[in-house]
Amino acid sequence: MTTTPSPDTTSPAEPLSPPPPAGRLAALAPRVTLLRVAGGALAVIGALLPWATFVLNEGPYPEKSTLQFFVAPLAVTGFRLHLVVLGLATIVVSLVPAVPAKGRIVRALGWGIIAIAVLNGAYIAVEGGGVGAITAAGGSVAFGSLVALAGGVLAVLGATAAGLEPVPTWTWRLPTWAEWLLLVVVYILLLLVVAAVLTSGGQGGVVNPYAGAVFLSTLGAVGGALGALHASGLLGWVGVVSERHRVYSVIVLLAVALALPLTGAGTEYWMTVAANIGVYAATAIGLNIVVGLAGLLDLGYVAFLGIGAFVAANLSGAAASQVGIELPFPVVMVISAVIAGIFGAIVGSPTLRVRGDYLAIVTLAFGEIFVRSAQNNIGGLTGGANAIPNIPPVSVLGTSFADPITVGPIQLPSGVLYYVLIVLLVAAVMLVFGNLKNSRLGRAWIAIREDEDAARAMGIRTGPIKILAFLIGAMLAGLAGAFFAHKTAVVAYDSFRFLESVTLLAAVILGGMGTIPGAVLGASILFVLPEKLREFSDYRLLLFGIALILIMRFRPQGLVPDRHRRAELAADAPGAPPPLPATAPVQTAAAGGGS
Amino acid sequence: MTPFLEVRDLTVAYGAIQAVRGVSFTVEQGQIVSLIGSNGAGKTTTLRTISGLLRPVSGEILLDGTPIHRRPAHEILGLGVAHSPEGRRLFARMTVEENLRLGAYTRRDEAGIVADLDRVYDLFPVLGERRRNKAGLFSGGEQQMLAIGRALMSRPKLLMLDEPSMGLSPIMTQKIFDTVRGLRADGTTVLLVEQNALAALALSDRAYVIDLGRTTLTGTGGELLADPRVQEAYLGEGVSS
Amino acid sequence: MGLLESFSTQLTQCFGSTSPPVFVFLQQIINGLVLGSLIGLIALGYTMVYGIIQLINFAHGEVFMVGAYGGLATFTYLLPTFAAREWYIALPLVLLGGALISVLVAVAMERFAYRPLRNAPRLAPLITALGVSVALQEAVRVFYPNATAALPFPNIFVPGSLSFSVGGGDIAIKYSGILLLVVSLVLAIALQIFVDGSRMGRAMRATAQDRDVARLMGINPDRVIVLTFVIGGALAGIGGVLYGGYLNNINIDMGFQTGIFAFTAAVLGGIGSIRGAVIGGLLIGLVKSLGGQCLPGGTAYDYVWIFVVLIVVLVFRPQGFFGETERVRA
Repeated sequence: MTTTPSPDTTSPAEPLSPPPPAGRLAALAPRVTLLRVAGGALAVIGALLPWATFVLNEGPYPEKSTLQFFVAPLAVTGFRLHLVVLGLATIVVSLVPAVPAKGRIVRALGWGIIAIAVLNGAYIAVEGGGVGAITAAGGSVAFGSLVALAGGVLAVLGATAAGLEPVPTWTWRLPTWAEWLLLVVVYILLLLVVAAVLTSGGQGGVVNPYAGAVFLSTLGAVGGALGALHASGLLGWVGVVSERHRVYSVIVLLAVALALPLTGAGTEYWMTVAANIGVYAATAIGLNIVVGLAGLLDLGYVAFLGIGAFVAANLSGAAASQVGIELPFPVVMVISAVIAGIFGAIVGSPTLRVRGDYLAIVTLAFGEIFVRSAQNNIGGLTGGANAIPNIPPVSVLGTSFADPITVGPIQLPSGVLYYVLIVLLVAAVMLVFGNLKNSRLGRAWIAIREDEDAARAMGIRTGPIKILAFLIGAMLAGLAGAFFAHKTAVVAYDSFRFLESVTLLAAVILGGMGTIPGAVLGASILFVLPEKLREFSDYRLLLFGIALILIMRFRPQGLVPDRHRRAELAADAPGAPPPLPATAPVQTAAAGGGS
Repeated sequence: MTPFLEVRDLTVAYGAIQAVRGVSFTVEQGQIVSLIGSNGAGKTTTLRTISGLLRPVSGEILLDGTPIHRRPAHEILGLGVAHSPEGRRLFARMTVEENLRLGAYTRRDEAGIVADLDRVYDLFPVLGERRRNKAGLFSGGEQQMLAIGRALMSRPKLLMLDEPSMGLSPIMTQKIFDTVRGLRADGTTVLLVEQNALAALALSDRAYVIDLGRTTLTGTGGELLADPRVQEAYLGEGVSS
Repeated sequence: MGLLESFSTQLTQCFGSTSPPVFVFLQQIINGLVLGSLIGLIALGYTMVYGIIQLINFAHGEVFMVGAYGGLATFTYLLPTFAAREWYIALPLVLLGGALISVLVAVAMERFAYRPLRNAPRLAPLITALGVSVALQEAVRVFYPNATAALPFPNIFVPGSLSFSVGGGDIAIKYSGILLLVVSLVLAIALQIFVDGSRMGRAMRATAQDRDVARLMGINPDRVIVLTFVIGGALAGIGGVLYGGYLNNINIDMGFQTGIFAFTAAVLGGIGSIRGAVIGGLLIGLVKSLGGQCLPGGTAYDYVWIFVVLIVVLVFRPQGFFGETERVRA
């Protein structure tokens, strides 16, 4: 089954050729506009058709899937509304002549349509009651999902048949006040979208058996829309504008993030989820220094979060703590960070002699030693299997962070103070990361990542600098750990196992190595998805493993690729060769003739 | 009559860098043909593409009129093309005999393999004396002998040698080139890539100059030796190396 | 309790006046050797794959785990009752079932997870391997009946133990342990002979040393790599079945832990070296059993000592005992 040699995999350096003019699809090229418009129209029509023929196994499918359009023409909401919007956008973009990069935009919209059609159709068929639910049966015409799917496929085919244009770059400059206003509007929109995605399908997914479908479908719609905006170059332009007003953007973004409790997502449940995401995001940013900037793979990183958490637990005055002192939270944070940093330097010291995947194994071994020691309640500091319970919440001026608070007329959910604290903490960690990345030290790390020998030849003292990466990364994780201890009130060794390290690594990679938003985005996705997809909880880790494999295969550079990043994980283009065949050291390309 | 090996408008790239952009030449049966040119001209890339280690962006490679440029490397050996790569690239941790047997990897006739082992040991007696020694311990000249011997073990119709004189003493170089001449006498076609243009041209029935990834000049070995452009560009250097 | 204090207590327990009699040591050594032979058997898969494609195949431990479940499934669902009663019929069939499943899984992971990344930057396949490891473990947990908890594994071989008196006490070694030890060593020797002497073995060594030149010799590297995964998978599958029979229960975590130990053994012995893997495995087994006896913390910390050995070896002698410096990636 595996011996058939395929040219793609046997040649070490398949030359990079320009994308062939759409190959078999070329025949469609003259009719692309027709295809695209037809795709959009089918999506709209699909949205207006019924999607299920009967009430499903676990109750009615949300968004009135049995709807007959002519009965209730105004009841087009939820995924149907998303479809109508994406479909109309496809038609408009296809027909308006002035739109640049049409193909790309339509392709993104088409994928969004496909995602909505497939997800909803599959849920109705699989969870609802068989394929019969989505095909014509019982006298109703219920193939809305199939029509929408056909529309999406047509749009994608039509988009790619003529070959894809490059993403345009816009250089508009507005007056400063207009740009500021624009940024505020964009960030508020972002907040509303995030809140809408979070709350789609209900809060926790317990009430509505089809909450997972609604959530994923919303995600697909948002993804399609964002992809289209990216393809049009507008997203890139907004990025440039925000880069121009860097400090201002950071402040607005921070304010917007702090406003999340005021939206529909402002419940105790989401505050807790958000605080957990924050902990892992801060830790992931620390890991991003080690892996993303310095290129040192750490497979035991979660140990530093654990060390920070156990240090804070022991200094919290909890009954089970070994050290009988209670220190103010800010002091505890500093001590946790410092101790985690010291351990970071210890774990990092083998980098002086060990590189690459051997280093990864060394860090894994350190991580395992930590877990085993914590499990055995080493020195009485970790509580072993009993954990350290009843860690008191952080409190300032008599206000416990665990309680709900009221500001004027607004009642805020409990946990909101922890949310504010973690947002500020993550912001601070991002600030540290951003400044480090653009500093002398950051450039030294990147040089080491790209080519350690060359970096050393340029006079960079690689040894201390690599240890410094571990030290700083571990300190950030230690900070997050101190927060974690107080927020969750219990610290147990099994929160810090190998799988957690892998999840953190996955967050960094999924988001995009070496980028600031990447780690946060990755952590959010990896921790929100399981919350929203409770019905798959049994398959959660299985899907996680498969997702890791697929990401490495199809998008190793992550969702937010680092613009300046070249080596380690990001190949120039899918299927593009590495600069030189692995087994042929410097020769050929540069020195074709030889000696 | 179709030429034995024909390379037409070959373009090869490493990522975005085009190392070869328009190499064309033919090799007739029983000839010694050399490709000469300076460092980085694309000679090694051309050989690596013929033997299937690299894939061309465009152009064709025909062996006896059949295109072979889409075939993987391990099949091309079976078509009768053996490639002794630049820098010899022996399996240093294996013995002489193991290296030679790997050269005959695609063959299943034990008797024939043993006979060819003896033939190589006759050709290079030093290899026979040290057949149980690890290849990595040999001198440059002995390694080159082993590299050629290894390539011969597949009984190739076309033998491609990449820089066989690299790093060798003049005496050893002479010995290697004498061997190559002897191979032609036995009917083996040889495609030679050489920096040592003088020695290569003296030996060749036909030669091509490759410059910046293109074939720029061709002629018999004698014609090119006499060509002032070649003399100016390559032979001054060739004598000294 | 201070670390130093605990250390000295433990050492006195081993070597001081209150030290246990000799037979306890011998028993630990025997236990260590049995475990070590298994670790060595798994280490062969790591060492061969790393030697040829420079990949730490994290998922190899899971191949071993899957083999144990495959063997159990063969015994539970496929074996006719009359065959299950006679070990000389049951054992080969169960071994075959386990090995077959392991080989299938190993070949599939090579084909679909690793091969597409053959030319990718080095971190990518390593992370893919982590993904494969998680996915395999979870697949067994989700799809194998009742696999959420440890499952009893039948003793297929001759039941009971060989016991004899030495040094003032009785030592026992299970017959299934002897089987594990003997089979592991025999397989390792057979593999060594195959790699040293056969045409395919030569092709494997050639591919490991220089893949491009191996292709120039007419060797299809894809085929060699698949063969490597087949051999590694078969050995791991056999190991899984024999280990299940030795311990009489299996769980889905067994692969990860054993895998890390086996990798340690492979590095300790020198990546690429067959005899190194076996000797490394035996040493790791001894470290675990004697470390649990003699080092601070007792059995609760025996795993920790293996990881300490791993770190020390990687840092100070990454080429291992039999490794060749040029191959070392440190």
